[in-house]
Amino acid sequence: MITEKKYIRPQTIDEAIHVAHDHHHSFRYIAGGTDVMVNKFQGTDETNCLIDISGLDELKEISVEGNALKIGSLVRLDDLKKNEIIQKNFPALIEAAHSVASPMLRKTATIGGNLLCENRCSFFNQSDWWRESVGYCLKCEGDVCIATGGTKACFSKFVSDTAPVLISVNALLETIDRDGTKIFSLENIYTGDGIAPRNLPGTSIIRHIILPLHQPCRTIFKKLRPREAVDFTSLTTAVTVNESGKIKIVLGGVDPKPVVIEGILNGSSEEYIKMAMKKSRVVDNDFYSRSYRREMIRVFLEQSFEELKK
Amino acid sequence: MRILNLTVNGKSHSVPVTEHEMLSEVIREKIGLTGTKIGCSQGSCGACTVLVNNEPVLSCITPALRFENANITTIEGIDHQGELHLLQEKFVEKGAIQCGFCTPGMVMTALDFVNKNPDPSISEIKDALSGNVCRCTGYKKIIAAVAEYAAEKNGKILPQKKEKNSTTEKTVGIGRPAIEASKKARGIADYADDYKIKDALHVKFVRSLFPHAKIVDISTDEAMKLPGVRYIATGKELPVKFGVLPLSQDETAMAIDKTRYAGEIVAAVAADTEAIAQQACKLVKVTYQPIKEFLTIDDSMNDVGEHEKIHSDPNRESKFNNNIHKKAELRFGDQQQGLKDAEVVSNMTFEMEGVTHAFTEPHATTAYWDENGLTVISATQVTHYLHRALAKTMEVPLSRVRVIKPHVGGGFGGKSDPFPHEIIVAHMARKTGKPVRVCLTREEVFLNNHGRHPSRMTIQLGADKNGLLKVLDADIIIDGGAYGSFGVVTSYYNGVLLQAPYKLNNFGFRTFRVYTNKPQCGAMRGHGAVNSRFAVESLIDDIAHKINMDPVELRMKNFLDSHSLTVGQYRITSNGSRESIQKVAEQSGWKNKHGKMEHGHGFGVGCGFFISGSALPIIWNELPQSTVHLKVDFDGRVLITSGANDIGQGSDTMLAIIVAEVLGISMDKIFVLAADTLLTPVDLGSYSSRVTFMAGNAAKDAAENLKNEIAQAISMKKEIAVEELNFSNEKIFSNNKTVDLNWNEAIDILTAKRGAVSVSGKYISPKLGGDFKGAGAGLSPSYSFGSCVAEVNVNPKTGHVKILNVWGAHDCGKALNPLAVEGQLEGSWHMGIGQALSEEMKYYKGLLVNNNFLDYKIPTSLDTPDIHTNIIETMDPEGPFGAKECGEGALHPVIPAIANAIYDAVGVRITKLPIKPEHILELIRQKEKTIKEVPASS
Repeated sequence: MITEKKYIRPQTIDEAIHVAHDHHHSFRYIAGGTDVMVNKFQGTDETNCLIDISGLDELKEISVEGNALKIGSLVRLDDLKKNEIIQKNFPALIEAAHSVASPMLRKTATIGGNLLCENRCSFFNQSDWWRESVGYCLKCEGDVCIATGGTKACFSKFVSDTAPVLISVNALLETIDRDGTKIFSLENIYTGDGIAPRNLPGTSIIRHIILPLHQPCRTIFKKLRPREAVDFTSLTTAVTVNESGKIKIVLGGVDPKPVVIEGILNGSSEEYIKMAMKKSRVVDNDFYSRSYRREMIRVFLEQSFEELKK
Repeated sequence: MRILNLTVNGKSHSVPVTEHEMLSEVIREKIGLTGTKIGCSQGSCGACTVLVNNEPVLSCITPALRFENANITTIEGIDHQGELHLLQEKFVEKGAIQCGFCTPGMVMTALDFVNKNPDPSISEIKDALSGNVCRCTGYKKIIAAVAEYAAEKNGKILPQKKEKNSTTEKTVGIGRPAIEASKKARGIADYADDYKIKDALHVKFVRSLFPHAKIVDISTDEAMKLPGVRYIATGKELPVKFGVLPLSQDETAMAIDKTRYAGEIVAAVAADTEAIAQQACKLVKVTYQPIKEFLTIDDSMNDVGEHEKIHSDPNRESKFNNNIHKKAELRFGDQQQGLKDAEVVSNMTFEMEGVTHAFTEPHATTAYWDENGLTVISATQVTHYLHRALAKTMEVPLSRVRVIKPHVGGGFGGKSDPFPHEIIVAHMARKTGKPVRVCLTREEVFLNNHGRHPSRMTIQLGADKNGLLKVLDADIIIDGGAYGSFGVVTSYYNGVLLQAPYKLNNFGFRTFRVYTNKPQCGAMRGHGAVNSRFAVESLIDDIAHKINMDPVELRMKNFLDSHSLTVGQYRITSNGSRESIQKVAEQSGWKNKHGKMEHGHGFGVGCGFFISGSALPIIWNELPQSTVHLKVDFDGRVLITSGANDIGQGSDTMLAIIVAEVLGISMDKIFVLAADTLLTPVDLGSYSSRVTFMAGNAAKDAAENLKNEIAQAISMKKEIAVEELNFSNEKIFSNNKTVDLNWNEAIDILTAKRGAVSVSGKYISPKLGGDFKGAGAGLSPSYSFGSCVAEVNVNPKTGHVKILNVWGAHDCGKALNPLAVEGQLEGSWHMGIGQALSEEMKYYKGLLVNNNFLDYKIPTSLDTPDIHTNIIETMDPEGPFGAKECGEGALHPVIPAIANAIYDAVGVRITKLPIKPEHILELIRQKEKTIKEVPASS
């Protein structure tokens, strides 16, 4: 039996949320859709109802409210660079956004979507035939992790390139659902469970990403990937230091969630690097080997510290 | 189903659309505009780019229902009243279009980009195009086209006057766009999946889940019950074996008793729609009994027969009790003596992963039967072998099969075998009485493979202290995958193609090709010798370092001379090795750069050579290798018919250039009809870099015959000796002008009381080579030669390699169309860069892991260095107007040039492909360890 597929394009946030609750058993919001539609093509996303929120213009604005910069979740990755406040205060965010995928994708993909991008693994992002052949993995209702041979945890990697930068500057999310708006620390929405990597209620919509203004800081962003375009990350690092010398290191691509380490700039960078390597649960599920990616955590962080001292 | 209202290229449409249907499907299948291409279906290649309300959108991953009332512009909508858009014009003029499959997406992307960035720098252009994969051009000419378009549009440069080639005195040697380039630029050139034969059924395949398994049972009952399913075929219905080589007829269209690789076709469903066929495939229940699988060279070599072999045909005694498919071995001179004479020997083991063609157009085929038998329209490089394979497997006479090649979106060797899907749709069309079509998904294209063999080889090269090469010995194993394909030839080529471009009197090799339970390997650009060439050029570099000699100088000392014989009796005629290496050395500033840069920055050189068409046909017979017909009628138009397959390399244009040159007429008096086995005489197809040399010579022969017919007719009518007549500038005239006819007047004389005149021309290779077993491998009437210098930066901390520049030179004899030759060279170098640094077929337990354009890493425009292109002309004595191949050989030198540049940069010798940063780091560490362990005592 073919389950009925639906495509709904709500005109307001309220309508979107209402529709989502009506289809709560099998739906997906799509913003740009560049991640979801590929997952649907490969069969790793089998939701029946697509709720296309790309028409919600109120989520496409960037505004300043008091000491906060509010970036609407539907601002396209390619549009971030056009905003002067972001240029001035968060150039690393522009750099990170520019490192995502390819130019056309960045003209469709949104900042909110990038934060919610599904975790990836060489053994999961495959066609249904492929996954059946390998024996479905934990992330698709199988009973073993192909990458590690384990049966308990899924190590699909967290691949958003903008999230590490945003977390490193303590970004907040404002979400909206039927029960009103809520504020989350971006860092806290990621669970570390590769199967269910985020804990936001499925029906809620990110309204804004909130960044603190007037707290001068510097961020060094780096991304490891085989090619200079198109590729998902094999390691993303964002290291932010603020005026008082507090440092926040965030890694992507090496764990099911962003790996966060905090300290002070004049502390032992060696210690932070060791902590970062220890906290990152890198497995062989990527173009590069586990050992190489681990080694690059060290190299990237050393270089970041060097650059921060300049 | 819902009704979607769209305006496409200014025209309103209301189309029924299913809920999750992609915009690309709606545009192609429902609105019928097939200029928008689907290369990957997952937004990784850019071929599907269209503008929606003036923003670029990847239509293959965007739901159509997002765009109610939107204004969409596709490639078909940007020209104006039949005049190309300026950007399209630039693509045409600059030679930015080869196969043309990426062109629509590339043009739409660039159009939007320049609109919003009117004055872009070259690096901004590269960035803007980095999501659009082109496999043909190496991006160089595309970037040039976009740059010139922007400059002209923003007024930085004056509109470039189109060079209208008014003179027709010469056609050869003048760069010109391919004759079909405008059509491709406009998105109206039809590729295989653009043929929408009415009432066609769609086919999808059930593919094996196991690399090696007995098929116990196939149950199709549930699938047949699905409404819209018309036919389900299984392997037993197509028992006749096929294969491109007569020696390796080891494949059936679908697995019959067992499967030999994961992904092999087990059953096929024909249904009213693709979606129904796909759903029915899931309902076909196959019971497998997995058996011991052989996944690596070692698995297959080491097994001594205790497990079931991959091919165990009881009717055919195999010489081997394991999974060896072929052993090829030849030895010349005295290798033992050579080793004794060598004062310095370099001996290394190399490992290369497999790579694949990754053309942007997926395989697609439509088949139907009518009163003329079977007609198949397919994306193929070799209509002739497909013709034969279809007649064999359908068990019908050759005279009942017609194969038509539409425009083909790249091949590089990967569309040269007959394929299971082609045979299956032919079969299902017969069974259902309806046209049947199939278009493979990108994953299926990867599973078809037939790419370069994963290889392991130990090679020993010896020289004396003056740098003269004394001995070469190669011990090679190649991993063929599940079937034979071109593998027997590949086995020989890996060895025999090492006997040039250097003089080697003591030379030998042994190659084993093993079967493994993986998709089969076959012929890919530079067939057979790319890996072993990389190995040998690395060893030469090593020897040069050991004897402290400039690697360029060492090579110069050893090159074979023009008009000489190799030790294996290859007849070398024209040879531009020396000119090539001198050109790239000079242009790159080699003398002041190599060995003289700071740590991490290096220069490397490599050379290569390749056949210009195999002198022996695959299927032995006495047909010429190529036959070309010309017909001229009252209208003065010359029709060329040829079986040669233009797959984007420009062979149709090449034929027209040659005929125009001989007859002294303009290109627009010529019409080319090619690669339709009903209408065109046999050409063996586009493989082994044979088309310019062989079809070109046949075209020249035909044109000379036509010229003679015309001259004879004029001679009779005007009572003038044939020898006094000149053909030039659309005129036929005698020096004293007693005869001075324009072309149409001459044709009136020719056709008077006779009607249309047809002539034929042919090419047959001269008898070449020795009379020992294996002497035929690699024989060619001519060989191409070339050289590359690469400049790299290596980050010693990350191992990351950035290629900064590639200087390349290639001896193509004579560039009949320099624009096309440059395109072939740049594409070859680009493909070599991919194999060097990022491309590999990665398997997990026999399953191809990176089966898509996101994970199979073709270099993007940002990863492609500046390429400096040099054509070397040596005027081959037997090539048409001196021409020989340029489509494959150029790939050979680039990989070793990069590897040798890495050695120059950081002092480590690369022995594995692709060159991974982690491997470089490991080698650097090993080297540092060795230095520490052996403290300098002097």
